[in-house]
Amino acid sequence: MERIETIFLSLINQHKGIIHKVSKMYMNDVEDQRDLFQEIVMQLWKAYPTFKGNSKFSTWMYRVALNTALIYFKKDNRKVDKTPLDENVDIVDVNESDAREEKLAYLYKAVQQLNPVEKALIFLFLENQSHREIAENLGISEINARVKLNRTKEKLQLIIKKNGYEF
Amino acid sequence: MNFDEIKSEWNAEDGEKTSVSENMLKIKQARTPVDTIRNKMKHEFFYQVLVLILMAFVPYLFNFSAHSTTAYLAFYAVTCGFSAYYFFKFYRFYKNSYDMSMDSRKNILWFYYEMKLNIELYKALTYIIAFIGIAFLATLLFIEKFYVFNKIVSKLSTFYLLVNCFVTILFIGVITELWAWYYYGKHLKKVKKIVDELDSEV
Repeated sequence: MERIETIFLSLINQHKGIIHKVSKMYMNDVEDQRDLFQEIVMQLWKAYPTFKGNSKFSTWMYRVALNTALIYFKKDNRKVDKTPLDENVDIVDVNESDAREEKLAYLYKAVQQLNPVEKALIFLFLENQSHREIAENLGISEINARVKLNRTKEKLQLIIKKNGYEF
Repeated sequence: MNFDEIKSEWNAEDGEKTSVSENMLKIKQARTPVDTIRNKMKHEFFYQVLVLILMAFVPYLFNFSAHSTTAYLAFYAVTCGFSAYYFFKFYRFYKNSYDMSMDSRKNILWFYYEMKLNIELYKALTYIIAFIGIAFLATLLFIEKFYVFNKIVSKLSTFYLLVNCFVTILFIGVITELWAWYYYGKHLKKVKKIVDELDSEV
Protein backbone atom coordinates (compact mmCIF):
# COMPACT_ATOMS: atom_id res chain seq x y z
CA MET A 1 0.00 0.00 0.00
CA GLU A 2 2.74 2.36 1.00
CA ARG A 3 4.61 1.61 -2.21
CA ILE A 4 1.59 2.51 -4.33
CA GLU A 5 1.29 5.77 -2.39
CA THR A 6 4.96 6.58 -2.98
CA ILE A 7 4.76 5.87 -6.72
CA PHE A 8 1.56 7.89 -7.02
CA LEU A 9 3.00 10.86 -5.12
CA SER A 10 6.13 10.85 -7.21
CA LEU A 11 4.09 10.82 -10.45
CA ILE A 12 1.79 13.56 -9.18
CA ASN A 13 4.68 15.76 -8.09
CA GLN A 14 6.23 15.44 -11.55
CA HIS A 15 3.05 16.75 -13.16
CA LYS A 16 1.52 18.90 -10.44
CA GLY A 17 1.81 21.99 -12.66
CA ILE A 18 -1.21 20.68 -14.60
CA ILE A 19 -3.33 20.57 -11.43
CA HIS A 20 -2.17 24.05 -10.39
CA LYS A 21 -3.11 25.48 -13.76
CA VAL A 22 -6.51 23.75 -13.82
CA SER A 23 -7.23 25.04 -10.30
CA LYS A 24 -6.33 28.60 -11.27
CA MET A 25 -8.43 28.37 -14.43
CA TYR A 26 -11.51 27.20 -12.60
CA MET A 27 -11.31 29.14 -9.33
CA ASN A 28 -10.74 32.82 -8.76
CA ASP A 29 -10.20 32.86 -5.02
CA VAL A 30 -6.92 31.49 -3.63
CA GLU A 31 -8.76 29.42 -1.01
CA ASP A 32 -11.02 27.91 -3.65
CA GLN A 33 -8.01 27.17 -5.84
CA ARG A 34 -6.42 25.29 -2.94
CA ASP A 35 -9.65 23.36 -2.35
CA LEU A 36 -9.95 22.41 -6.01
CA PHE A 37 -6.29 21.40 -6.08
CA GLN A 38 -6.89 19.06 -3.13
CA GLU A 39 -10.09 17.75 -4.70
CA ILE A 40 -8.29 16.89 -7.94
CA VAL A 41 -5.48 15.16 -6.05
CA MET A 42 -8.10 13.18 -4.10
CA GLN A 43 -9.96 12.18 -7.26
CA LEU A 44 -6.71 11.14 -8.92
CA TRP A 45 -5.81 9.05 -5.89
CA LYS A 46 -9.25 7.38 -5.80
CA ALA A 47 -9.13 6.75 -9.55
CA TYR A 48 -5.48 5.62 -9.56
CA PRO A 49 -6.36 1.89 -9.25
CA THR A 50 -8.23 2.24 -12.57
CA PHE A 51 -5.14 3.63 -14.34
CA LYS A 52 -4.01 0.74 -16.51
CA GLY A 53 -1.02 2.47 -18.08
CA ASN A 54 -2.46 2.27 -21.60
CA SER A 55 -1.86 5.99 -21.99
CA LYS A 56 0.75 8.33 -20.55
CA PHE A 57 0.21 9.27 -16.89
CA SER A 58 -0.01 12.94 -17.84
CA THR A 59 -2.75 12.21 -20.44
CA TRP A 60 -4.77 10.30 -17.86
CA MET A 61 -4.16 13.09 -15.38
CA TYR A 62 -5.45 15.76 -17.78
CA ARG A 63 -8.72 13.87 -18.13
CA VAL A 64 -9.31 13.22 -14.44
CA ALA A 65 -8.30 16.78 -13.50
CA LEU A 66 -10.57 18.34 -16.11
CA ASN A 67 -13.47 16.01 -15.37
CA THR A 68 -13.21 16.93 -11.69
CA ALA A 69 -12.96 20.66 -12.39
CA LEU A 70 -15.93 20.53 -14.77
CA ILE A 71 -18.28 19.30 -12.07
CA TYR A 72 -16.68 21.01 -9.09
CA PHE A 73 -18.85 23.50 -7.23
CA LYS A 74 -17.91 25.82 -4.45
CA LYS A 75 -19.80 25.30 -1.20
CA ASP A 76 -20.74 28.93 -0.72
CA ASN A 77 -21.98 30.03 -4.12
CA ARG A 78 -19.81 33.11 -4.20
CA LYS A 79 -20.38 35.08 -7.38
CA VAL A 80 -17.74 35.53 -10.02
CA ASP A 81 -15.89 38.77 -9.48
CA LYS A 82 -16.66 40.94 -12.48
CA THR A 83 -14.93 44.11 -11.37
CA PRO A 84 -12.63 45.66 -13.99
CA LEU A 85 -9.28 43.93 -14.03
CA ASP A 86 -7.21 47.01 -13.36
CA GLU A 87 -9.19 47.75 -10.19
CA ASN A 88 -8.27 44.49 -8.59
CA VAL A 89 -5.16 45.18 -6.58
CA ASP A 90 -4.78 41.57 -5.47
CA ILE A 91 -4.11 40.25 -8.92
CA VAL A 92 -0.47 41.17 -9.10
CA ASP A 93 1.53 39.94 -6.18
CA VAL A 94 4.61 41.93 -5.13
CA ASN A 95 6.78 38.92 -6.05
CA GLU A 96 5.06 38.36 -9.34
CA SER A 97 5.28 41.80 -10.76
CA ASP A 98 7.00 41.06 -14.05
CA ALA A 99 5.07 41.45 -17.25
CA ARG A 100 4.58 37.74 -17.89
CA GLU A 101 3.08 37.06 -14.49
CA GLU A 102 0.90 40.13 -14.84
CA LYS A 103 -0.40 39.02 -18.23
CA LEU A 104 -1.21 35.55 -16.92
CA ALA A 105 -2.91 37.02 -13.87
CA TYR A 106 -5.17 39.02 -16.17
CA LEU A 107 -5.82 35.93 -18.24
CA TYR A 108 -6.78 33.89 -15.17
CA LYS A 109 -9.03 36.72 -14.06
CA ALA A 110 -10.75 36.95 -17.44
CA VAL A 111 -11.38 33.20 -17.80
CA GLN A 112 -13.44 33.29 -14.62
CA GLN A 113 -16.24 34.72 -16.73
CA LEU A 114 -16.30 31.70 -19.03
CA ASN A 115 -18.45 28.65 -18.38
CA PRO A 116 -16.80 25.34 -17.29
CA VAL A 117 -16.72 23.86 -20.81
CA GLU A 118 -15.23 27.06 -22.29
CA LYS A 119 -12.57 27.00 -19.57
CA ALA A 120 -11.71 23.42 -20.52
CA LEU A 121 -11.38 24.43 -24.19
CA ILE A 122 -9.05 27.33 -23.41
CA PHE A 123 -7.04 25.23 -20.97
CA LEU A 124 -6.43 22.44 -23.49
CA PHE A 125 -5.61 25.00 -26.20
CA LEU A 126 -3.03 26.68 -23.96
CA GLU A 127 -1.60 23.25 -23.19
CA ASN A 128 -0.71 23.00 -26.91
CA GLN A 129 -3.36 20.41 -27.69
CA SER A 130 -4.53 20.15 -31.28
CA HIS A 131 -8.21 20.39 -32.24
CA ARG A 132 -8.28 16.62 -32.55
CA GLU A 133 -6.82 16.14 -29.06
CA ILE A 134 -9.19 18.71 -27.57
CA ALA A 135 -12.10 16.89 -29.22
CA GLU A 136 -10.86 13.54 -27.89
CA ASN A 137 -10.46 14.84 -24.36
CA LEU A 138 -13.85 16.48 -24.22
CA GLY A 139 -15.67 13.81 -26.21
CA ILE A 140 -17.00 16.14 -28.89
CA SER A 141 -16.45 16.21 -32.65
CA GLU A 142 -13.34 17.87 -34.07
CA ILE A 143 -15.43 20.44 -35.97
CA ASN A 144 -17.39 21.20 -32.84
CA ALA A 145 -14.17 21.61 -30.87
CA ARG A 146 -12.74 23.96 -33.51
CA VAL A 147 -15.83 26.18 -33.67
CA LYS A 148 -16.36 26.19 -29.92
CA LEU A 149 -12.71 27.08 -29.34
CA ASN A 150 -12.81 29.95 -31.82
CA ARG A 151 -15.96 31.31 -30.22
CA THR A 152 -14.43 30.99 -26.77
CA LYS A 153 -11.29 32.82 -27.90
CA GLU A 154 -13.43 35.64 -29.28
CA LYS A 155 -15.41 35.78 -26.06
CA LEU A 156 -12.22 35.89 -24.02
CA GLN A 157 -10.82 38.70 -26.15
CA LEU A 158 -14.02 40.67 -25.63
CA ILE A 159 -13.89 40.16 -21.87
CA ILE A 160 -10.29 41.32 -21.73
CA LYS A 161 -10.99 44.31 -23.96
CA LYS A 162 -14.11 45.23 -21.95
CA ASN A 163 -12.07 45.23 -18.79
CA GLY A 164 -9.54 47.60 -20.26
CA TYR A 165 -6.56 45.38 -20.70
CA GLU A 166 -5.22 44.55 -24.13
CA PHE A 167 -2.33 42.24 -24.90
CA MET B 1 -4.78 39.72 -27.79
CA ASN B 2 -2.08 37.49 -29.14
CA PHE B 3 -2.92 33.90 -28.24
CA ASP B 4 0.41 32.51 -29.43
CA GLU B 5 2.24 34.87 -27.11
CA ILE B 6 -0.06 33.98 -24.23
CA LYS B 7 0.47 30.31 -24.98
CA SER B 8 4.24 30.55 -24.73
CA GLU B 9 3.94 32.52 -21.50
CA TRP B 10 1.47 29.97 -20.16
CA ASN B 11 3.89 27.17 -20.93
CA ALA B 12 6.74 29.04 -19.28
CA GLU B 13 4.78 29.32 -16.03
CA ASP B 14 5.99 26.80 -13.49
CA GLY B 15 2.96 26.99 -11.18
CA GLU B 16 4.51 24.41 -8.92
CA LYS B 17 4.57 26.08 -5.56
CA THR B 18 2.74 23.49 -3.50
CA SER B 19 4.02 20.00 -3.36
CA VAL B 20 1.63 17.10 -2.98
CA SER B 21 2.08 15.42 0.36
CA GLU B 22 0.79 12.13 1.76
CA ASN B 23 -1.61 14.03 4.02
CA MET B 24 -3.40 15.43 1.00
CA LEU B 25 -4.53 11.91 0.09
CA LYS B 26 -6.33 11.58 3.41
CA ILE B 27 -8.40 14.74 3.25
CA LYS B 28 -12.04 13.94 2.75
CA GLN B 29 -13.72 16.56 0.64
CA ALA B 30 -17.01 16.43 -1.18
CA ARG B 31 -17.24 19.39 -3.46
CA THR B 32 -18.51 17.74 -6.60
CA PRO B 33 -22.08 16.56 -7.14
CA VAL B 34 -20.62 13.12 -7.93
CA ASP B 35 -18.93 12.97 -4.54
CA THR B 36 -21.96 14.33 -2.74
CA ILE B 37 -24.16 11.68 -4.33
CA ARG B 38 -21.59 8.98 -3.59
CA ASN B 39 -21.40 10.04 0.08
CA LYS B 40 -25.17 10.11 0.41
CA MET B 41 -25.43 6.65 -1.17
CA LYS B 42 -22.85 5.33 1.26
CA HIS B 43 -24.68 6.78 4.27
CA GLU B 44 -28.00 5.49 3.05
CA PHE B 45 -26.52 2.04 2.53
CA PHE B 46 -25.40 1.88 6.17
CA TYR B 47 -28.76 3.16 7.47
CA GLN B 48 -30.64 0.60 5.39
CA VAL B 49 -28.44 -2.26 6.55
CA LEU B 50 -28.95 -1.10 10.16
CA VAL B 51 -32.73 -0.93 9.67
CA LEU B 52 -32.75 -4.42 8.11
CA ILE B 53 -30.80 -5.81 11.07
CA LEU B 54 -33.14 -4.10 13.57
CA MET B 55 -36.15 -5.38 11.63
CA ALA B 56 -35.07 -8.95 12.38
CA PHE B 57 -35.94 -8.36 16.05
CA VAL B 58 -39.42 -6.95 15.48
CA PRO B 59 -41.36 -10.23 16.20
CA TYR B 60 -39.54 -10.58 19.55
CA LEU B 61 -39.96 -6.94 20.50
CA PHE B 62 -43.70 -6.93 19.78
CA ASN B 63 -44.40 -10.46 21.02
CA PHE B 64 -45.82 -11.76 17.74
CA SER B 65 -47.67 -15.06 17.80
CA ALA B 66 -46.14 -18.06 16.01
CA HIS B 67 -48.35 -17.51 12.93
CA SER B 68 -47.57 -13.79 12.78
CA THR B 69 -43.85 -14.47 13.22
CA THR B 70 -43.91 -16.92 10.30
CA ALA B 71 -45.75 -14.37 8.13
CA TYR B 72 -43.36 -11.62 9.24
CA LEU B 73 -40.30 -13.70 8.40
CA ALA B 74 -41.68 -14.43 4.93
CA PHE B 75 -42.21 -10.70 4.30
CA TYR B 76 -38.82 -9.94 5.86
CA ALA B 77 -37.08 -12.43 3.56
CA VAL B 78 -38.71 -10.83 0.48
CA THR B 79 -37.64 -7.36 1.70
CA CYS B 80 -34.06 -8.59 2.24
CA GLY B 81 -34.05 -10.13 -1.24
CA PHE B 82 -35.14 -6.91 -2.95
CA SER B 83 -32.73 -4.85 -0.84
CA ALA B 84 -29.83 -7.18 -1.65
CA TYR B 85 -30.54 -6.77 -5.37
CA TYR B 86 -30.55 -2.99 -5.02
CA PHE B 87 -27.39 -2.99 -2.86
CA PHE B 88 -25.57 -5.08 -5.46
CA LYS B 89 -26.51 -2.68 -8.27
CA PHE B 90 -25.64 0.29 -6.12
CA TYR B 91 -22.27 -1.20 -5.15
CA ARG B 92 -21.33 -1.78 -8.79
CA PHE B 93 -22.24 1.78 -9.70
CA TYR B 94 -20.42 3.16 -6.64
CA LYS B 95 -17.20 1.31 -7.51
CA ASN B 96 -17.28 2.19 -11.21
CA SER B 97 -17.95 5.86 -10.53
CA TYR B 98 -14.31 6.32 -9.51
CA ASP B 99 -13.10 5.79 -13.04
CA MET B 100 -12.85 9.30 -14.42
CA SER B 101 -10.44 8.57 -17.23
CA MET B 102 -13.00 8.55 -20.04
CA ASP B 103 -13.42 11.67 -22.16
CA SER B 104 -15.38 14.40 -20.37
CA ARG B 105 -18.64 13.94 -22.25
CA LYS B 106 -18.64 10.15 -21.87
CA ASN B 107 -17.64 10.39 -18.24
CA ILE B 108 -20.25 12.91 -17.19
CA LEU B 109 -22.94 11.34 -19.36
CA TRP B 110 -22.17 7.89 -17.94
CA PHE B 111 -22.51 9.19 -14.42
CA TYR B 112 -25.69 11.09 -15.23
CA TYR B 113 -27.54 8.14 -16.75
CA GLU B 114 -26.24 5.57 -14.28
CA MET B 115 -27.32 7.83 -11.44
CA LYS B 116 -30.72 8.35 -13.01
CA LEU B 117 -31.09 4.59 -13.31
CA ASN B 118 -30.05 4.14 -9.68
CA ILE B 119 -32.53 6.76 -8.54
CA GLU B 120 -35.28 4.89 -10.40
CA LEU B 121 -34.16 1.64 -8.77
CA TYR B 122 -34.14 3.42 -5.43
CA LYS B 123 -37.69 4.64 -5.98
CA ALA B 124 -38.82 1.18 -7.09
CA LEU B 125 -37.28 -0.33 -3.95
CA THR B 126 -39.06 2.25 -1.77
CA TYR B 127 -42.40 1.43 -3.43
CA ILE B 128 -41.82 -2.31 -3.05
CA ILE B 129 -40.86 -2.03 0.63
CA ALA B 130 -43.79 0.28 1.35
CA PHE B 131 -46.22 -2.17 -0.26
CA ILE B 132 -44.63 -5.13 1.51
CA GLY B 133 -45.10 -3.22 4.77
CA ILE B 134 -48.76 -2.48 4.03
CA ALA B 135 -49.37 -6.08 2.95
CA PHE B 136 -47.79 -7.33 6.16
CA LEU B 137 -49.93 -5.02 8.32
CA ALA B 138 -53.06 -6.31 6.57
CA THR B 139 -51.87 -9.91 7.07
CA LEU B 140 -51.10 -9.21 10.73
CA LEU B 141 -54.57 -7.76 11.24
CA PHE B 142 -56.03 -10.77 9.45
CA ILE B 143 -54.14 -13.26 11.64
CA GLU B 144 -54.36 -11.51 15.01
CA LYS B 145 -57.71 -9.73 14.75
CA PHE B 146 -59.61 -11.75 12.23
CA TYR B 147 -63.04 -10.54 13.41
CA VAL B 148 -62.01 -6.89 13.38
CA PHE B 149 -60.49 -7.36 9.92
CA ASN B 150 -63.61 -9.06 8.67
CA LYS B 151 -65.80 -6.37 10.18
CA ILE B 152 -63.81 -3.56 8.57
CA VAL B 153 -63.79 -5.20 5.12
CA SER B 154 -67.52 -6.05 5.24
CA LYS B 155 -68.46 -2.53 6.36
CA LEU B 156 -66.45 -0.65 3.78
CA SER B 157 -67.65 -0.31 0.22
CA THR B 158 -65.43 -1.38 -2.70
CA PHE B 159 -65.33 2.23 -3.85
CA TYR B 160 -64.06 3.41 -0.46
CA LEU B 161 -61.40 0.68 -0.43
CA LEU B 162 -60.26 1.64 -3.93
CA VAL B 163 -60.09 5.34 -3.04
CA ASN B 164 -58.13 4.43 0.07
CA CYS B 165 -55.66 2.39 -1.96
CA PHE B 166 -55.30 5.21 -4.47
CA VAL B 167 -54.64 7.81 -1.76
CA THR B 168 -52.10 5.52 -0.09
CA ILE B 169 -50.27 4.94 -3.39
CA LEU B 170 -50.34 8.67 -4.10
CA PHE B 171 -48.99 9.48 -0.65
CA ILE B 172 -46.16 6.95 -0.96
CA GLY B 173 -45.43 8.18 -4.49
CA VAL B 174 -45.23 11.87 -3.51
CA ILE B 175 -43.03 11.15 -0.48
CA THR B 176 -40.71 8.93 -2.56
CA GLU B 177 -40.40 11.42 -5.42
CA LEU B 178 -39.78 14.36 -3.08
CA TRP B 179 -37.23 12.43 -1.07
CA ALA B 180 -35.36 11.27 -4.19
CA TRP B 181 -35.36 14.83 -5.57
CA TYR B 182 -34.24 16.40 -2.30
CA TYR B 183 -31.58 13.78 -1.69
CA TYR B 184 -30.18 13.26 -5.21
CA GLY B 185 -32.10 15.23 -7.84
CA LYS B 186 -30.70 18.70 -7.25
CA HIS B 187 -27.11 17.42 -7.54
CA LEU B 188 -27.99 15.55 -10.69
CA LYS B 189 -29.36 18.76 -12.17
CA LYS B 190 -25.91 20.35 -11.84
CA VAL B 191 -24.35 17.41 -13.69
CA LYS B 192 -26.99 17.69 -16.42
CA LYS B 193 -26.08 21.34 -16.98
CA ILE B 194 -22.52 20.37 -17.93
CA VAL B 195 -23.79 17.58 -20.21
CA ASP B 196 -25.99 20.11 -22.00
CA GLU B 197 -23.09 22.54 -22.42
CA LEU B 198 -20.93 19.81 -23.96
CA ASP B 199 -23.78 18.60 -26.15
CA SER B 200 -24.74 21.99 -27.51
CA GLU B 201 -24.07 21.93 -31.24
CA VAL B 202 -22.44 24.88 -32.96
